[in-house]
Formats: sequence, C-alpha cells, structure tokens
Amino acid sequence: MDTSSPSAFVNGALLRRYIGQKVRTVVQVIGSDMGSVVGKSTDDLQIFVKGSPPASTTTYLEVIGIAESENSIRAETWTNFGISFDALNYNELCKLANGEFKHLFI
Amino acid sequence: MPISLTPNAITAIKAGDVNLKPLLQVLDIKLIGKSQERSKDRYRLLISDGISAQYAMLAVQLNDRVKSAQVEKGSIVQLIDYICSDVKGRNLIVVLNMETIVPHSETIGNPTMSADSDTKAQNPLSDLGSISPTNRFVFNEPSIQHFVNKAPSGGVNIQNPVNNTPTFRPSVQPSYQPPPSYRNHGPIMKNEAPARIIPIAALNPYQGRWAIKARVTAKGDIRRYNNAKGDGKVFSFDLLDSDGGEIRITCFNVVVDRFYDVIDVGKVYLISKGSLKPAQKNFNHLKNEWEIFLESTSTVELCPDEDGSIPRQQFSFRPISDIENAENNTILDIIGVVTSVNPSVPILRKNGMETHRRILNLKDESGKAVEVTLWGEFCNRDGRQLEELVESAFFPVLAIKAGKVSDFSGKSVGTISSTQLFINPDFPEAHILRNWFDHGGKDTASSSISRDNMPGGGSRNEIRKTVSQIKEEGLGRSDKPDWVTVKATISFIKTDSFCYTACPLMIGDKQCNKKVTQTGTNMWLCDRCNQESEECDYRYLLQVQIQDHTGLAWVTAFQESGEEIMGCPAKQLYSLKYELQNDEEFAEIVRNRLFHQYMLKLKIKEESYADEQRVKMTVVKVDMVNYISESKYLLNSLVRSL
Repeated sequence: MDTSSPSAFVNGALLRRYIGQKVRTVVQVIGSDMGSVVGKSTDDLQIFVKGSPPASTTTYLEVIGIAESENSIRAETWTNFGISFDALNYNELCKLANGEFKHLFI
Repeated sequence: MPISLTPNAITAIKAGDVNLKPLLQVLDIKLIGKSQERSKDRYRLLISDGISAQYAMLAVQLNDRVKSAQVEKGSIVQLIDYICSDVKGRNLIVVLNMETIVPHSETIGNPTMSADSDTKAQNPLSDLGSISPTNRFVFNEPSIQHFVNKAPSGGVNIQNPVNNTPTFRPSVQPSYQPPPSYRNHGPIMKNEAPARIIPIAALNPYQGRWAIKARVTAKGDIRRYNNAKGDGKVFSFDLLDSDGGEIRITCFNVVVDRFYDVIDVGKVYLISKGSLKPAQKNFNHLKNEWEIFLESTSTVELCPDEDGSIPRQQFSFRPISDIENAENNTILDIIGVVTSVNPSVPILRKNGMETHRRILNLKDESGKAVEVTLWGEFCNRDGRQLEELVESAFFPVLAIKAGKVSDFSGKSVGTISSTQLFINPDFPEAHILRNWFDHGGKDTASSSISRDNMPGGGSRNEIRKTVSQIKEEGLGRSDKPDWVTVKATISFIKTDSFCYTACPLMIGDKQCNKKVTQTGTNMWLCDRCNQESEECDYRYLLQVQIQDHTGLAWVTAFQESGEEIMGCPAKQLYSLKYELQNDEEFAEIVRNRLFHQYMLKLKIKEESYADEQRVKMTVVKVDMVNYISESKYLLNSLVRSL
C-alpha cells in the first residue's frame, strides 16, 4: 500500500486543519460547472471543488486533492459514488479518523 | 383561657352538617375489630360537645394519631372532614380528618350519651364569643372555601380530604345552627330523599348512602374469566368528578348486562349504591384506595345536561426525562410530538396468540425522546392515523393517558388495555408543545432513553454473535433454544443430498411437507397422511458451512432459507442434477452461491441423537447485509469500546 502520500478523511468542518495538504471527502453535488463542483459536505457545509470534474456526476461524489482553503479543494481524483450513500456514517468515520485514534487511519 | 367546645355540634353533625368544623372533646378511644394486620385496626371515639356525646369512627389514615398519642382521652380536637351517615337507623359519624387543639383537658361539661330525641336545651350561640383568637387559632382562611355543588340535587360538597390534609391548619368558624325542622322527632324514618352527592375523594366503605356525579373517562371491554367458582364476565370503567377525584367501577355478571350499554365514555352520570372494596392496585392505577362494585340495586343515571365543571380527562403529564428514572411497570401520562412511526408488525405472544405491535418515537421539551410501543388495536386505529400524519410531514402531538413503563432495553412506554391515546388534543400542554416544536424543537437533537443496549440497525430482539461465540458461550444448552444473528459468509454447500421429497397434500391450510417414499410406479406415499400422490414436492434440506473472522460452523437450512441461499427452487436444482444430469451447470450454480455474506438468524438447540449430544443450528432467516445499518452497528460498537 502506498503510504507516502496519505489523504486524510475530512468533512466540511475538518477541512481547515489540512489546508495545503491532501484530503479526501464525499460531497452531495449541488451544482457543477466546467471547472468546479459545488457540493454539500456530510456535515452540511458547502465545499467548492475545483479541477476537471467528470462529464456527468452522480448525487454523491468522492474527491481526493489538496485543501486550498477552509471550504475549497483542488481535486485530482474524482469518483462517482452513486445515488445512495449514507452521509451520517461517513461523517462519523471522518470524526473517528481525526480523533484519538487518528494514527490508525492513513 | 378555657376552651369552649362548639355547642350543639353533635346535634348539627347528626342533622347532616359537614361544614361546621366543630371543637369537640374525645372522651374515650376504643380499638375495635382488631385484626392481625395492623393496617386494618379501627378506632372508635366517643366525642362530646360538652352536652351530648356520640360515637364516631376514625378513618384508617388517622390511626397513627391515636398510636402516636396525638389524640388521647381528654384531647380537644377540631373535626375538619367528617361524614354522618345513616347505617341501619343509627347515625354513624366517620372522622376523615381532624386536628388536635389541646392534647389533654379535663372533661368539659357533663355530657350524656346522645339520644335521638333532642331534649337538651341548646346553648346560645353567643358562647362562641368566648373563643378569642390566639396564636393557636387561625380564623377561617380564604383558601378554605365551602362551595355548594352545582349538581341539580343541590347537595353540599365537602372538602377533598386527601388534598387538603397536609396544608390544613385548625380553624374555628361560626357555628352552624341546624334549622329546627332538622331535629329528629318521633321514630326514625327511612330516609327516602335522594342521597347527597359527595366528592369521590370522600367515598369510604362506612357510608350507607351516597351518590357521586362524575364523568366516565375510560370504559373497558367485557372480559370473560374462569375460576374456581365457574365462568364469569366483568367490565370496569373509570370516573372523574369536578373535584378531580377518580375511582374505578367494576361490574360482574348480571350487573354487566345491566350497565354495559348504559355507560358511554365522556358522559356524566349520577351513581348511587354500590359497595366499596380496596382497589386492586395491580390492575387499577387510579389515585384512589377504593373501587366501587356495582350491585343489582345500584343506580346509574345519565345526567343529560352537560356539566362543564367536570373535566373530560385528568392528566398528570411527566416529562420524558422523568421516565428514565421511573421504575419498570410504572403507569404514567406523557405528552410529546411523534417524530416517527414504524409499520405495524405481527407478533406471536407467549400464549400462541397473534397480536400486532407498532413502535413510534415521541419527543418533548425535556430534550429526551422515548419509544412508545402500541399493542393490538392501538396499532390500527390510532397507529395508522399517526403514521399518515407523520408521512405527510405533519408531526402530531400525542397525549398518552396511562402508559406503562418498560425497562426491556433502555426505557420505553407501552400501551395497556386502559391506556388512552389523544392525537393533537386541544389541551394547553399540547399547544405549548406544538409551539415549541414548530419554533426550533423540531430540529433540536433529543437523546433517546430507549434501546440503550441496541445500537443502530437490527431489530429490537436481535442478539448479535460471532461464530466462535456460539461455541464459547455454550449457546443452545439451556432449556430453550437460543436465537442469534451472525454476519457470516457461506464457504461450502453440501450437494450430494440437498433436498427431500415432500408430501404435497394439504392439512388444513398448510401443506403436509412430510417426507414421502416412492411406491411402485411413480406414486409417492406419505406416512402421516397415509395417502399416495402422483407427484411430490422437493424441499431444501441443505447443509451449509458458514464462516466469519472468528471461525466456521455447520448449519442446516430448510425450504425458505435454503431457497434464499441457493437462489432457485429445490425442484429446479433437483431436475438439473438428477433428470437432466447436467452436472456442469449444477456445479456452476452452486459455485456462484458461495462467498456471499449474509445476516443469518440462527436457532441453536442442543439435541440428542442416539445418546449423543449435538448442538443443532438452523437458519431461520437469511438477509442480505444492509451496509448502512451494519456500518452504524459497527460504528456504535467501536465508539462503545473506546
């Protein structure tokens, strides 16, 4: 497993801790443009994802990239997560991954 | 300063005055009807107004006054609540509440036993002037009011002794002088006048004649029973009067026929005659130590004119946060907003009868939420209405009268037969709650006091185990089978024998399904039905190896769960293997069914085969893993173990 460049699990609120670093998150797509996607994070915050999104996006979208600010990510990897996804569980995962046992998550 | 007794009090009491609150002297105290149980002791007092003396029974709740010597021979007491009733031609005074004014005093006056002929000269009222207010005496407080019942018969309403007892201070008030016509002259006549209406709270078994005016708040169904005395039927209903007193009325057998159709919930009745028995607290949760048994001589009259002074229902709502500390089986009233309603599900009761259950969630301003379980008829009637309201995103207010607290998993509230539900009731409490909910309450998170040990996903009765726990914990070894759920993957399916030939005949509305044996030319014989059939059914009897991260185990799957595991009917597989002899396709189908993960509900029971004990595990239900609820379950177990 490649651990040289870990990407931290984040929700909207956790994004600010990783500005300038690699993160991964899942958003619910609210709107998309040529060079960006506006999404709702699993904790109901707005996140702007920049880069080149796929031609068509599903309701849920995973993005991996660099956190540029407390509400924007420049994405390198875009993955459609389909229309059925449990945001609550993902949000809890993000909290776990940034809590006491952070070292267990890559 | 010498104390004066209230002149002519005995005469006035016997004439029916209950507002006098007289000062009387206790000349004698006698314990009568001493029984093994201390609580059933009764005391008889001889009370005197200085001129005449009369026996009076002391209500049981005042026994302590005698035992603790607060009332002794010679004590001067003030009667606060009392009743004089006519028992077989004799006047019987029952003292319900009193205060000791002077603990001990010499006998005042020269009282003689009161006779029915009233020959004693009456002391002038001016005697009262000799009682001047001292610190000990408080003149009639404003809070102590005497009100006349609005009942048509114009009876006098006495104080509610239960509510007033703790706050009562002795008061002295101008004496009541009975009108001359009340005095008894000549022989005692049977009193033919209608009985006085008294508050429910004043009812006791020592009254001969009484009437109560009250609204029916609940009516039970007719229940049939069978005991040593034979068959019988019973029904009961609950009453509430204008003073907030409540009592249950029970009718048996012929009395049921007489009154069942007369009683309607919400209507007001005048009820008279009946015997008072101690309330059966395990069935009767009303705040009254008595209940009334109606007899064939009892009268129940509908009051046609609506009496607004009697509330329709009396609640003492408890916040949901209180339920957390309430004991199991406590009966209480709650009100909350329904946030979710589960579908109604059939439940097999222990006695084999099927009933329905529906679970809903209720939250209130206490910041807590609780699960409410509706049983039986409540599921359909009220449950469906609530479900529809919640589905249309209107969250109704639900008031529950007499719900029962259960501590099965966390705390929850369930319905019992006397429970009443009120959907969007027009109460002040409901309006406050609605206002709270609509202005922020809807979005505030409430922590549930239910299902504490049942985190996320899974049904209420689900006991989750790993494969190795089944062996380690010795499941199935007790008298009853264990029912557990495992999340496991199917790793091997035995294929040399995977189904059996089953009897297709119907027994009642069920297929026989016993194993049939082939007889001669394509006929199948069932030993149970003792009949032959041309065709037989093929049903799964599948041996399957399951595996999780802790170990592996062999389980048996019958028809329904077998079909779930194999993905096709047993008959199809049978004909593929034995009729078409397409072993390749058969092997392919089986291979494709391996290495899928399921939630398997297992029945585990140790059985003996030829003196050998074997733990038998049967798959009773096969479900696909629901990743959302499973993630919740895992997250919860993770958080709990941190």
